[in-house]
Amino acid sequence: MTRKGPSRVEFLQGTLDLLVLRTLLAGPRHGHAIAKHIQRTSEELLQVETGSLYPALHRLEAKGWISAAWALSDKGKRARFYRLTPLGRRQLGSEQSKWHAFARAVGLILNPAE
Amino acid sequence: MTLFLRKLRWLARREQKEAELREELQFHLDEEADERTADGLPIDEARRAARKDFGNLAIVREDMRAAWTWRPLEELVGDLRYGVRMLAANKMFSALAILSLALGIGANTAIFSFMDAMLLRVLPVPDPQSLVTLAWHTNKREMHGSNRHDDSYVDPNGGFIGGIFSYPAFELFQRDTSVFTTVFGYQGAGDLHVAVKGQAEIANGEYVSGNYFSGLGVSPASGRLIGPEDDGAGAPAVAVVSYALSETRFGGSANAPGQAILLNNIPFTVVGVTPPEFFGADPNVLPAVYVPMHANLLLQAGNKYARAAERYTDPNYDWVVPMARLRPGVTAAQAQAALGPEFTEWKATTDTKRAKADLPTLVVKESAGGLDGLRRTYSKPLYLLLGLVGLILAIACANIANLLLARASARTREMAVRLSIGAGRLRVIRQLLTESLLLSGIGGALGAVFAVWAIRFLTLLLSNGRGDDAFALTIDLNWRVLGVVAALAILTGVLFGLAPAVQATRVDLMPAFKTVRARGGQAHGARRISLSRALVIAQMAFALLILVTAGLFIRTLSNLHSIQLGFNSDQLLTFQLNARQAGHGDPEIITFYDRLVSDFAAIPGVRNVTLSDSPLLGAGYSGTDVTPSGGQPKNSHVLTVGPHFFTTMQIPLVRGREIEARDRPGAPYAAVVNEEFARIFFGKDDPIGRHVMLKRACPTCDIEIVGVVANTLYGQLKETTFTPAGPPPTVFLPFSQAVWGPVAEATYELRTAGDPLGPVRVVRDIVNRVDPRVPVTRVKTQRALIDANINQEITFARLCTAFALLALTIACVGLYGTMSYGVARRTSEIGIRMALGARRATVTWMVLREVLTLGAIGLAVSLPAALAVSKLVESFLYGMKRNDPLALAAAVATMAAATLLAGYLPARDASRIDPMVALRHE
Repeated sequence: MTRKGPSRVEFLQGTLDLLVLRTLLAGPRHGHAIAKHIQRTSEELLQVETGSLYPALHRLEAKGWISAAWALSDKGKRARFYRLTPLGRRQLGSEQSKWHAFARAVGLILNPAE
Repeated sequence: MTLFLRKLRWLARREQKEAELREELQFHLDEEADERTADGLPIDEARRAARKDFGNLAIVREDMRAAWTWRPLEELVGDLRYGVRMLAANKMFSALAILSLALGIGANTAIFSFMDAMLLRVLPVPDPQSLVTLAWHTNKREMHGSNRHDDSYVDPNGGFIGGIFSYPAFELFQRDTSVFTTVFGYQGAGDLHVAVKGQAEIANGEYVSGNYFSGLGVSPASGRLIGPEDDGAGAPAVAVVSYALSETRFGGSANAPGQAILLNNIPFTVVGVTPPEFFGADPNVLPAVYVPMHANLLLQAGNKYARAAERYTDPNYDWVVPMARLRPGVTAAQAQAALGPEFTEWKATTDTKRAKADLPTLVVKESAGGLDGLRRTYSKPLYLLLGLVGLILAIACANIANLLLARASARTREMAVRLSIGAGRLRVIRQLLTESLLLSGIGGALGAVFAVWAIRFLTLLLSNGRGDDAFALTIDLNWRVLGVVAALAILTGVLFGLAPAVQATRVDLMPAFKTVRARGGQAHGARRISLSRALVIAQMAFALLILVTAGLFIRTLSNLHSIQLGFNSDQLLTFQLNARQAGHGDPEIITFYDRLVSDFAAIPGVRNVTLSDSPLLGAGYSGTDVTPSGGQPKNSHVLTVGPHFFTTMQIPLVRGREIEARDRPGAPYAAVVNEEFARIFFGKDDPIGRHVMLKRACPTCDIEIVGVVANTLYGQLKETTFTPAGPPPTVFLPFSQAVWGPVAEATYELRTAGDPLGPVRVVRDIVNRVDPRVPVTRVKTQRALIDANINQEITFARLCTAFALLALTIACVGLYGTMSYGVARRTSEIGIRMALGARRATVTWMVLREVLTLGAIGLAVSLPAALAVSKLVESFLYGMKRNDPLALAAAVATMAAATLLAGYLPARDASRIDPMVALRHE
């Protein structure tokens, strides 16, 4: 189930949710587009497993952070588009600041100010 | 909360949402394929690659669905639904497994609830641990007065223990305050004629010392209880009634205090009511009325034989059952050591008749549960029954295990399919566990229902022999026990569900698919078969144990039923009246009883009527020293009887005449003796015309023997602690001549032409018309009276027969199931054999041989065990040895027949296999 490409970075637990929310901040997208966007934006470093993506989308939807609606894709096919809800927007804010705090903490340890 | 609502909304539109899941993923696949075609791949290959990259679609869908559902619950529901389907697919086997488990659980719970109530429960009073009973120990068996709280028994360490003392001895204990805080006493008052507002009934009475209730620490439900000021000669006549009596007679406990009550036609005042849970200090007896000890001066006033006043001063007249409370920190052993020498010393000064070595010694026993007579009576039978039902539970569990094993092995292929399409091993194991738990769960739930029934049934069965005395203990379903037993059953389910489940999920997928139904000789298959055979053998061995026990008890019962009574017990109705308690006095009471004899004789269908002071068989006996003129006194049984007694009872008259109407008060004293009496007292001499005296009862009565009758049993069917087996020497005195105490209670015996219970209504009507104050009690056929005597044996024989049938059925089901599974597994092999020329008989024999081998092993294992175990039941047997060959042979034959039947059906199925069908099968 691997695809050849640049060496990839493993997802940290819970980061997929954050990335999905962030991706949807730009506007509604369907699952495939979300995956592509994360892949492209991360310069192919992050590979989204479909086996994780779709369950994650539905989990977020069940939580009410994103909502879904059927619409036509740019190629004219019916696709399930996800959109960030106000609740999700707030959630994204808090997740993001959590992530920044975490990244900073890891950075401090890895690059100690000499 | 909103999450919950969103999930609900999703579930409500489940089908649409499921379709959407599919469409969403399909869209993703299409997009991926498109990308690949854009890269230059042909469309087919692009699709395949996209599909390959995606991974397991089913699992992804399952994961997506999981976001919307309560997954564990979902899976449980699914597993349960599947489990029910699997049980339903195997209806016969499942039903029997569940039923046997339920019966096993029910029977165990019921028996253990009884044990808990009878053997382990304590008196419902504060600080029961400090209660002790006082008793004496002698080296010889002794009869002491009359004790309605029978607490005398053979000491297993040698000698004899009794629990009643004289009043002076009781006072001696009360004086010593070094080890006890209080010493109180009581004695049964027997059946009292209790009349409230004109309504009469016979109820159990209890004499209690003034400090009885305070000593036990009982508080009244209403009013006050008996105190020291009530217990003395000349004190006002007061009584305390039980909660139950206050409900039925006074319409509630609050109404009873202050009301008048007639006890044996003497006015008493009810001062209070005992609490509902209180049953006195002896669980064996349930008193309805409590009166102060000294009330016996009133209740026994007319009875010079009761020694009503003398018993308070005579140090050799034992009648008080003493109990005491230990001082804090004092043990029963310390109390015994402290008080024992004092008692022995006192006894030596007051008891001049006995040699010093024969004097009783004091025993102090811990008695948190009250008197332990009931415990002694029932503990052995209950342990025995518990053992038997334990075996049944084991057989039932083995059955469940076998069922699950067979199923797991039959489903190896199904497991392989499940695993290969991506089911997790844990998930499969969980599903198998759910099924086995479902099985044992249903069994456990049904078991609770059975337990409730079984408790009612057992209460009925055990209290059957107790005449009108109800058990003082109410037996409730013991939830703790039910829980333990159910847990055991569930554990069986888990154990035998889990082992095959783990095994099944470990299958190598490819061989499992390939070897579908070939020889079936896989390693684990073979192991399964030998395990299941071991289980079948164990089942049969256990069943045989129960069969042997049942055989022994059935033989015992038939031995008891074939005891020569000496009279005809068929078509004989007995009942009791007590006219004296209801207010009749001398000499009118004799006219009253005589009149009833002629009234009863006029009832159509009644052939003979007579009366006696107690029933001939089944209600105890009385006896005394009889002195023949010019001879030494010897002990004899005594019964007073009316005219036509021997005719009615059909006891052959050997010489002389029977008791007749002319033997009235004032006429010369007459007696009839039995042959045993004649032999013991007069040897070969003719007893007719000889004179005897009963000096204890009537020192001046000179009695002439007028007749000799054939020997009959009197009192009890079997030997007891005090009397050997066989017909005792008996002297029959005229009922109305009152040599043996004043005429009081009368037992009527009616010989009927048809159903002995037929005249009961008319009898009640007649007595009610003549004197409504006199209740008709203990209405029973002579047969029922005898059966009550051997109730334990009857109960055992019936219960064990039922247990044996149950065990045999369960074991045969196990055998049948195992064999038919074996045959089904070997269908193609048998087909080949038959195609190669094996005859049907050969095939039948092939299967039967296996059955017989299993049966033979089962027998070989359990026969020695049965012989050993029968030692445990030896003391319950009558008229036979524990290794009775007939009982053993019957058990083995039954077992063999059942085994053959259970094995023949699969053998026949095997012989009917059509080779063509069998071979085409795969």
